[in-house]
Amino acid sequence: MLSYRITMFQSKVAAKIVAPIASRAYASVASAPVVSTANGIKVAAVAGNSDSPLASVSLVINAGSRFETSESAGAAHYLKAFGFRNTQTRTSFRTVREAELNGATLTAETTRENITYTVQCFKEAVPYFVEVLGDIAAATKFAEHEFKDVAQLVGFESLSARSDPMSRALDGIHQAAFRSGLGNSLYALESSPVSSGDAVRQYAQSALAPGRIAIVATGVDAQELANLVSSSRLSSLVTPASALSSPAASFTGGVQQIYDSASPVSHYALAFASEPASAQSLAALLGAQSRIKWSSGVLPLAKLAATDGFGIAPFSFAYSDAGLVGVIVSAPNTRIKAAVEKVAATIQREIASASGEAIQRAAAAARVDVAESLATQQGQIHALSNIALGQTAATLESVDDAAAKLSSAAARVFKSKPVAVSIGLSQNTPYVDTLGF
Amino acid sequence: MLEPIARAVQSNSAFRAICRPLSSAWVNLSGYRRYGMRYDDLLREETPIIQEAIARLNRDETDGRVYRQKRAFQLSLSHQELPLTQWTKPQDDYKYLQPLIEEVRLEHVERDAFNSMTFVKK
Repeated sequence: MLSYRITMFQSKVAAKIVAPIASRAYASVASAPVVSTANGIKVAAVAGNSDSPLASVSLVINAGSRFETSESAGAAHYLKAFGFRNTQTRTSFRTVREAELNGATLTAETTRENITYTVQCFKEAVPYFVEVLGDIAAATKFAEHEFKDVAQLVGFESLSARSDPMSRALDGIHQAAFRSGLGNSLYALESSPVSSGDAVRQYAQSALAPGRIAIVATGVDAQELANLVSSSRLSSLVTPASALSSPAASFTGGVQQIYDSASPVSHYALAFASEPASAQSLAALLGAQSRIKWSSGVLPLAKLAATDGFGIAPFSFAYSDAGLVGVIVSAPNTRIKAAVEKVAATIQREIASASGEAIQRAAAAARVDVAESLATQQGQIHALSNIALGQTAATLESVDDAAAKLSSAAARVFKSKPVAVSIGLSQNTPYVDTLGF
Repeated sequence: MLEPIARAVQSNSAFRAICRPLSSAWVNLSGYRRYGMRYDDLLREETPIIQEAIARLNRDETDGRVYRQKRAFQLSLSHQELPLTQWTKPQDDYKYLQPLIEEVRLEHVERDAFNSMTFVKK
C-alpha cells in the first residue's frame, strides 16, 4: 500500500506540473482593471460566474492597526466594530433588518493593513448595498451610547484573542519582529486610550481619505460599480487635514517574547523574514501541514511532529513591504524544549537546502492553496482589495513567480535569524539564540 | 394626518414671534425657573422611552440634572425659592432631553414598523 502510493507520487512528479487551465474566475482577478473615481477611490470588480445570482461588495480602507499611533492604539479594532452602526441615513437596526430581508450577510474584519466591510448578497441588491457602504464611509454617527456596546464587543474579542495561544503568539511575533507599525497589536488592548466615540471618529476622519479607500466586488460589472460609487456618498469624501502614516517595516531578528501561562501545553512560535511574494510558498516548503488526512507523507516537519508527538502549524503573512513565514510548535511543558530544538535543526538541515522534489511539492501546494482561495467569494475580494490598493496580492501569477525563485529564497530565509514567541511555563522556554540560527 | 400640519405651524417663524410674549409670560408664571429647574427636568420620566433617553445623556448633562433635582427638592422642603440672581436663565433653559426622546421614540416606531410588516407577493 505504502510503496504503491510512493510510486504513484513519483510518477506524477516525473511528469512536469501541468500548465494551468485558463479559467474565467482565476484569470479575471489578476487581470481585473482598477478604475479610479473622480475623487480618487479605487474601484475593482470581477464578473464572476454568470450562472450564479450571488454577488459581494466590499468597502476596504487602508487603515489597519499598522497606522495606529500611541494616541490611537486600538482605534482600528474599534473602527471595524463600528461597521454597520447608526449613520445619518439609517439606524443600525434598519441596516441589519433590511440586510436580512435581502438575504445578505454583513461582515466587518480588520487586518494589520486594511479594514474591510463586506456585504454578500444577490446581484439585484448590489446598488442598495453600495449606497449603504457609502453611508458607512461618509456618515457614521459614532454615537456615545453606541460606543458602550462597541466597547463591550471589542473587549470580548480582545480577551478571547489574548486567551487563545495561537493568536497571542502571532501578535507577539509581529511585535517582536516589527516593533511599531506592523508590530502594533491587531486588537485593542487594556492600555488602549480609545474611550469614546469621538476618539474613533477622529481616527476614522484620517482613515477615510479617498486615496485610502477601495470598493471591490464580485459578480458585478466594473463600470456599473464605478457609476454606483460615483452616485453614492463616497463621491463626497475629501482628503482630510491629518493623514495616517506607518513606518516602513524593518525586521529585527533574534528577539524573543516570553509569555507565562498556566496551561499544561506550551506553545512556541518561530518566524523568519521573507519577501512578501514568496511567504506563502515558503510556508508550504516548511512542510508542517500534510494535505493527506491521517498521514504525514514525506513532509519533514509533519513527519517529525507525528513521530515525536507534538503539534505543529505553519503560518505566513504577506504585507505590502514585509513578509513573515514560520511555524507554531505545541507540546506539553516537559517536551517543548526538545521539540523546538528538533524543529529548528530540521529547518536548517533539510529545508534551507531543499531542492528538486521538495521545491516542486511546495510550489504545487502553494498553487493549490491560492487557486482554492480564489475560487471563493471571500478569497476573490481579498485578492482584489490588495490589487486595488497596490498591496501584495496572492494570485496564480505571483505564486508561479515565487516558485521559480523558491530554492534560493529558502536558502536565504531559513538560514537567517528568526524571532520567537514562547507561551507556557517560562522556566522551560527554549531561547531563540540557542537554536543555531 | 394632523402631525405634519402641527409641525409646520409650530416651526413657522411668524407664528413663533406672535406667541413669544405669551409663552414667556406663561413660563415665568409657572415658576419652575425660580427653583433653578429647566423645562426638560420636569418631564415625567417613568416611561421606557424617556428612561432610555436619559441613559444616553452625556456626563455633564446627567450631573447637572441630578444637581438641579436635589437642589429643587431641598428648596421645596424648606419652602424657599432661589434668589433672583440664581433663577434659571432663558439661555440655560434649552431642550437638552427632548431631541433625545424624539430620537428614541423614532427608533421604537421603526422597530414596531419592521415587526408588523406585511408581505405582498410581487
